[in-house]
Amino acid sequence: MYQWDFTPVLANAPLLAQGLVNTLKVTGTALAFGVPLGLALALLRLSPRRWLAWPAGFFIEFFRTTPPLVQLFWFFFALPILIRVEMTPFAAATLTFSLQSAAFFAEVFRGGIQSIDKGQWEAGRAIGMTQQQALRRIVLPQAVKRMIPAFMERAIELMKTTTLVATVSYADLLYQANEVAQKTFRPLEVFTTTALIYFFFIFGCSLLAHRVERRLAASGEGTVH
Amino acid sequence: MNYKWDFATVFANPEALLAGLAGTLRIFVICLVIGLSLGLIVGLGRYAKSRWLYVPASIFVEFFRNTPVLVQILWFYFALPILVPFEVSPLMAASLGISLNSAAFSAEIFRGGIQSIDRGQWEGARALGMSYPQAMRRIILPQAMRRMLPPLTNRGIEIFKMSTLASAVAYVELLQQGKLIASLNYNPIEAYTVVALIFFCVLFPLVQATYALERKLRRAD
Repeated sequence: MYQWDFTPVLANAPLLAQGLVNTLKVTGTALAFGVPLGLALALLRLSPRRWLAWPAGFFIEFFRTTPPLVQLFWFFFALPILIRVEMTPFAAATLTFSLQSAAFFAEVFRGGIQSIDKGQWEAGRAIGMTQQQALRRIVLPQAVKRMIPAFMERAIELMKTTTLVATVSYADLLYQANEVAQKTFRPLEVFTTTALIYFFFIFGCSLLAHRVERRLAASGEGTVH
Repeated sequence: MNYKWDFATVFANPEALLAGLAGTLRIFVICLVIGLSLGLIVGLGRYAKSRWLYVPASIFVEFFRNTPVLVQILWFYFALPILVPFEVSPLMAASLGISLNSAAFSAEIFRGGIQSIDRGQWEGARALGMSYPQAMRRIILPQAMRRMLPPLTNRGIEIFKMSTLASAVAYVELLQQGKLIASLNYNPIEAYTVVALIFFCVLFPLVQATYALERKLRRAD
């Protein structure tokens, strides 16, 4: 029978904590770039001008249909040679996940904007607003409220996807766990603890998202996914 | 930006790419079959009234939906061998992680699909004298299947993309072979571009087909 011993894990808790901080750093940075870029892509894709809509659509579909790990490898190993820059694991990770989550956020924004009744646009135009004004003052505020659940779901997905950065040796929680496991020869305890840390963290976020969703549903607001 | 692209070196050893493609397809089929059938069982457990079925099924679903797949794969590869008396191969570890994760996600699709079927269908089947399993198999599942098809196709596409994570435990699949080619010929740009394009060319038609299916079902409903 195997003797479980968690003391080596506890002794290395600061390393794991540092890893969790780095995981949150990548997630936060990718969100900060991904959301505005996603909005821009959604607006381009909804544009009636084909030379704007088509490239945006291609970008979105490309990043949604290729595996994130392949994208990460491309940005980490291939791009630096192509444009002759030094690429750190952090830069490659934030670049990949910003672009990738932008593609997914664009679809969330598009669904939200399209779910708003045409009458809202028309009313905005009727009282003399330009297209941009109607979008900013009338449509987006309503659309954003409907998108919140889908948006939070995507953010949680993004946090799970950031574990991939461990493969290009960025010191996120998973990478640190691997280091600690090799150092202490206790992979069972280290990986179990790491899985539980991820679980409680992500499960907490999911519960929060459900609460917000219920509150929005109670306030009579439909949601889009 | 005056890099000279040379794709010939990527295709210089086609066996490497073909072996990778075969490995990707193998793990995809394994995870699709195990993931979806286990998902159906767990989904029925989540739908069951008995607490003995409902609680374990819910714990399974919540646990696997709320942990990253890569963590699961590494757990099965590095931690599981300590607990079990046999060796865990990269294929086994990766397919366990991906299958269980997909089972958790598809369980929710199955449960949602079954719940969306009108109660009257159940009552009608019971009134005709069918048992619960008969009603489920003959009446409910065939109708639910139509509604579940688009999200299940999406799951399949996700599984195909997830198969690249198997490269983290050195299982021979497309990305792993791309890595090998890049390190042999010093051509990471071409090697990874080709791998990305292969995935795009396989999945893009599938995604478009799913969109078309969704539109068709929406019109039919």
